[in-house]
Amino acid sequence: MAQNEELYNAILKGKRKIVQAIAEQAVADAADVEELLMESMIPAMKEIGDRFSRNEAYVPEMLIAARAMQTGLDILEPVLAAKGHEPIAKVAVGTVKGDLHDIGKNLVVIMLKGAGFEVIDVGTDCDVQKFEEAVNDGASAVCCSALLTTTMPYMKEVVEHFATKDDVKILIGGAPVTQAYAEEIGADGFANDANGAVNAVTECLGIAS
Amino acid sequence: MNAITTMNASQRFHAIMEGRPFDRLPLVEWAAWWQDQTVVNWHQQGLPKDLTDRYDICEHFGLELWYQDWLRPRHWECPGALYHGGPIINDERGYNYENIHQHLFNWPVDKQKWAQWAEKREQRDDVLLWFSLDGFFWFPRTIFGIENHLLAFYDEPELMHRMNDELANWMISTIDTICEVCTPDFMTFAEDMSYNNGPMLSEDMFNEFMLPYYQRVVPHLKKKGIKVIVDSDGDITEALPWFEAAGVEGILPLERQAGVDIDALQSISPDMCFVGHFDKLTMDKGEERMRQEFERLLPAASKGRFIPSCDHQTPPAVSYDDYKLYMELFTEYAHKAGALMNTT
Ligand code: B12
Repeated sequence: MAQNEELYNAILKGKRKIVQAIAEQAVADAADVEELLMESMIPAMKEIGDRFSRNEAYVPEMLIAARAMQTGLDILEPVLAAKGHEPIAKVAVGTVKGDLHDIGKNLVVIMLKGAGFEVIDVGTDCDVQKFEEAVNDGASAVCCSALLTTTMPYMKEVVEHFATKDDVKILIGGAPVTQAYAEEIGADGFANDANGAVNAVTECLGIAS
Repeated sequence: MNAITTMNASQRFHAIMEGRPFDRLPLVEWAAWWQDQTVVNWHQQGLPKDLTDRYDICEHFGLELWYQDWLRPRHWECPGALYHGGPIINDERGYNYENIHQHLFNWPVDKQKWAQWAEKREQRDDVLLWFSLDGFFWFPRTIFGIENHLLAFYDEPELMHRMNDELANWMISTIDTICEVCTPDFMTFAEDMSYNNGPMLSEDMFNEFMLPYYQRVVPHLKKKGIKVIVDSDGDITEALPWFEAAGVEGILPLERQAGVDIDALQSISPDMCFVGHFDKLTMDKGEERMRQEFERLLPAASKGRFIPSCDHQTPPAVSYDDYKLYMELFTEYAHKAGALMNTT
């Protein structure tokens, strides 16, 4: 399999018009779109995520790359679906009850989508019912974000709510959250940035990366 | 030593900020408390119920009165966002920068209030005056909305420049209006452009979209003798030299939870001033933990150019008794820092 350099770079730099043109051409030519996704698009998102972790790219660069990725995905998805291509897994992501901070949560959504997951974005101020609905909808992992010390304890309620469901993994993150806190409340995973969130979800779900 | 023992709040502040000897640290809270949570709890726990005003509560605890006016570039009649952090322009309501423009840059300065404050500063020894302005990251963010603003660095560079250009002009005229009444001690640019892992935008973006406007307003402030401080939560270590290059003289609140370390900051920028940094998360952990936190700050505070204070609003988990204990310890260490400063 080969990388399409132009597509890879276009996603990395957030050039959505170029991505659109390449994706449309690929569909018209009946090219191997799965290869484009796996070898060019997902690696580009991985690279921007790595640069973000090293503070070589910042939030605007992440957002434009994600938007370019989404432009490409929207064009390729019908073809991918017709070919029976399945997302890696379905994951729910939301900011917990009482908390409206969503920039970090949105970046987690972006990186998970960029890595090939199907994401149910449950939004902000989410109570356990909202997470439950996403799980009923097929989510096998629940990613909770909290930015306030006052809302962080709600994550414990989420963990307890799903305690009897072994097949649902709970991951937590956000500014005040630490690995120690994750262990204390019995969460299955933690990461301190959006890139790490992808690795943590992958690990928790036992998916070979 | 005599001059040092008779300092008022304003003299003390300027002495510390300029690295000169000072009698003690000021006892200050630069951010108001969470009215709907922390203050509500305290009212149940012993804070007299009639104390609801920020400055009355300051007096109750023996804190200095740092009177703050936040002057907004958006008039109260300007349409707001539909949700926290949402956009004002370019959503389904059809507002754009042109058609909300009539509501921008015309917030009236309350000169009467400033005159009263200035009089208080003359009469009392515990009063200091400051004002805040929406900064060159913050203001466009309120107009574009959080996410669109971050995209606008790429999508709308011209509009971003126009907003900040107009903002800079308005700032200069607003500063002049206040100075017709009195000279405030300092001001803050509200930015909040950092988070736990550093700044949200790159140095290149800062240099292109923010620096030129700082370079217009900061010299104007300095000429008037107003100290220039940036208010940005999160870890500002990486961005510290960017602000220093913009002429900014200080940063607050140096959020500990985000990993900020005063010793590192002082070694990167020895001439910069710092405010805040007392880890708010220790305030409900008892005397020993709070003492440890004050001990951590003491060496840096006794060097000058650093005013310790809670590193953001006091969290609701901190009880009224916790806070009274915090104030006792704060007072003790405020004097210790002054004594150390004057012996070294
Ligand atoms: C921007 C901001 C706001 C914006 C939020 C806008 C929005 N739509 O999100 C506004 C101005 C609206 C706001 C409001 C408030 N805020 Co605020 N805010 C911040 C600030 C400066 C940055 C947060 C941010 O956007 N970070 C950028 C993103 C990219 O980072 P992140 O969220 O940390 O996410 C990354 C990682 O944590 C991780 N991650 C995130 N979620 C998850 C989830 C999982 C599962 C995993 C694995 C990883 C992961 O990946 C992300 C990307 O790498 C922080 C300071 C800070 N240190 O974070 C304060 C901060 C969080 N806010 C604070 C406060 C107090 C408030 C208010 C209560 C203020 C008030 N009194 O009104 C309100 C609360 C409103 C509410 N009910 O939620 C305090 C909280 C203190 C405390 N006691 O906990 C902070 C820490 C500021 C401070 N200096 O103390 N805030």
